[in-house]
Amino acid sequence: MSDVMGYLILGVTRGCMYALIALGYTLVYGVLQLINFAHSEVFMSGAFGSFIVVHSIVGDGRHTPSWAVPLVILVGLASGAVTGASVAWGLERVAYRPLRRRGAPKLAFLISAIGASFFLSQLAGKLFNRYTNNGFPPYFKTDAVLFHILGARVQVVQAVIVVSAILMMIFLDRLVSGSKLGRGIRAVAEDAPTAALMGIDIDKTILRTFVIGGALAGAAGFLFGTAFVFYNTMGFIPGVKAFAAAVLGGIGNVRGAMLGGLILGVVENLVPVVHIDTKWTDVVAFVVLVIVLVVRPTGILGERLGRAA
Amino acid sequence: MHNRPVRTLVLVGVVGALAISGTGCGKKKSKSDSGLKGSAAAGGAAGKTYKIGFQGPLSGDNQQLGINEVNATELAIDQANAGGKLAFKLVLQKSDDVGAPATAPAAAATLIQDTAVVGVIGPSFSGATKAVGKTYAAANLALISPSATNPTLTELGFTTFHRIIPSDNVEGLQAADWFAGKGLKKIYVIDDLSDYGKGVADAVEKQLKVKGVAVTRQGVDAKTTDYGAIAQTVASSGTDAMFYGGYDAQAGLLAKAIKSSGYKGLTVTGNGGKSSVFTKGAGDAGDGWYFTCGCLDATTAPEAKAFNDAYTAKYNAPSSTYSPEAFDATNAMIEAIKAAAAKGDITRQSVLDAVNALDYKGITTEVKFEKSGEVTATVQTVNLYTQKAGAIVLIGNIKDQK
Repeated sequence: MSDVMGYLILGVTRGCMYALIALGYTLVYGVLQLINFAHSEVFMSGAFGSFIVVHSIVGDGRHTPSWAVPLVILVGLASGAVTGASVAWGLERVAYRPLRRRGAPKLAFLISAIGASFFLSQLAGKLFNRYTNNGFPPYFKTDAVLFHILGARVQVVQAVIVVSAILMMIFLDRLVSGSKLGRGIRAVAEDAPTAALMGIDIDKTILRTFVIGGALAGAAGFLFGTAFVFYNTMGFIPGVKAFAAAVLGGIGNVRGAMLGGLILGVVENLVPVVHIDTKWTDVVAFVVLVIVLVVRPTGILGERLGRAA
Repeated sequence: MHNRPVRTLVLVGVVGALAISGTGCGKKKSKSDSGLKGSAAAGGAAGKTYKIGFQGPLSGDNQQLGINEVNATELAIDQANAGGKLAFKLVLQKSDDVGAPATAPAAAATLIQDTAVVGVIGPSFSGATKAVGKTYAAANLALISPSATNPTLTELGFTTFHRIIPSDNVEGLQAADWFAGKGLKKIYVIDDLSDYGKGVADAVEKQLKVKGVAVTRQGVDAKTTDYGAIAQTVASSGTDAMFYGGYDAQAGLLAKAIKSSGYKGLTVTGNGGKSSVFTKGAGDAGDGWYFTCGCLDATTAPEAKAFNDAYTAKYNAPSSTYSPEAFDATNAMIEAIKAAAAKGDITRQSVLDAVNALDYKGITTEVKFEKSGEVTATVQTVNLYTQKAGAIVLIGNIKDQK
């Protein structure tokens, strides 16, 4: 039993990170009906951005007093979010807005996003390095056991990831369903021309949607880097998985992305429980995705563009 | 997939054209050159410049291994030139293949097209070697790899391929014998699904089964960053030991995940995991890991002291995994070129013949090749290393360990 619980904890942790990234895909899809393929690089830039800030605060991390650790984590999350938001902002201005102004076909957006994605990951490689094992300074013992659930250990880093991801997701849910900005996003998603007639600035709303999604992905980049490693091409696989998670939950649907991310993360980590070789992990995950889409072509919660989350 | 035949045809065409133009130009050049100044020394090699190629990852994710090797290669060539005993001058020609099979053909083509290149050190990686072994064979260009260890490389008809380290079969076999000698009953064997990782893991698994040890086999893609699930699987299986076939960066991540899973058994990886990338990535979690490697650590082995001093002086860093092997491979190649010069013209063919006939005592091994291109069986040594307090230290020949 404690084994299964252990895999579940791993799955929820990974799923939370997928969910944070998936939200960016789903939000942008909501307002533009486009997949932002450069979103994985927003995630990556969040890791690098937060590393620079965290490293400048704690140095090699060996002399960080324990009372400062929560603060450093908060700063890391914030700096990751700011980096992600700025990169997403730049992305929208450079790779999307000029095309939208000229009424380019959807394929052009796709190509432009893929180009931006290559550019960003190679730029990070050029600016920093291309090693695949950059780590954050060890300013806290990430694998210290915090408490046990049904005999399975929960590590500090897992608790940090799950708690901060859940807080961010609750905040986003409130933002989209309750605030003026959220109403604007939903209105543009529902019917952009009508929203414009009602006095909503479409350009601004789209830009803000990118920024919100970017901030979540950037924060996820910090969490991912803290738990594992970060490098210039780290975005690709989590990006693909998060995109799949968004589709699984119902693309355009904010709660769907959260649910899809969690389910994908848990399914991936339950593969060893049913005695399947872990090398089939991706196969199992995508078989589940295909089965869900065959039964529910619009995803588990369905596409709900424009409706309250 | 249906465009395969076309692609193959084009490839064959290109390779053929390269081979023809390569040999053609080579002949023309050597003729005109020897006409000008071929009188001074044996074979008309005096005063001429020949190139030794190097193919390996010099950029990208796996560049560290390539840099370890190319520095040692450069050092060997510089020392030979400075020694004043050569009747010709040697130049290093680097070619970066990023360690990937997809980029290896282009890297090989630049060396093959350069007619001054008479021998190549490399390729560093097994996958890259598989992609270009035939091309080099067609160009009659001798290869001595310091680190490509996949067992099949010497069985695929790569007629010019040689390596000075034992193949993963030898390493895996001896690692398995070591496990069995400890009386272990259950062992997890994990690989990263790469040519190298799967090769060494297969060899370990095969020999363990021969010895009657129960093996559970798992694979984790090398692009994985989250090793939580596999670590948990190993920990909850109650296994005595775990062997990982894969490269250093991933092994480091696995080490961390394994440690936080609470697993207490033996942890071992092969030559691909033994590097400073592992120690840096794994940190404390790497302490107690064992490494099997058909390589020699220049920082501890007495034979390699002079080499290591020269290396440190030149590059401001101690030599690392596969540097001594690359040094030996290069010196062996230089010996072969000297032997070719003593007999007549230095051509790709004469250098290849000399490499095949070579018997050279290096700092890591005696370089003497079997017909297959493997180094002679009697000198194939696999060493056991372990990480202690953040640094990898040599224990000794694995056959002598309990």
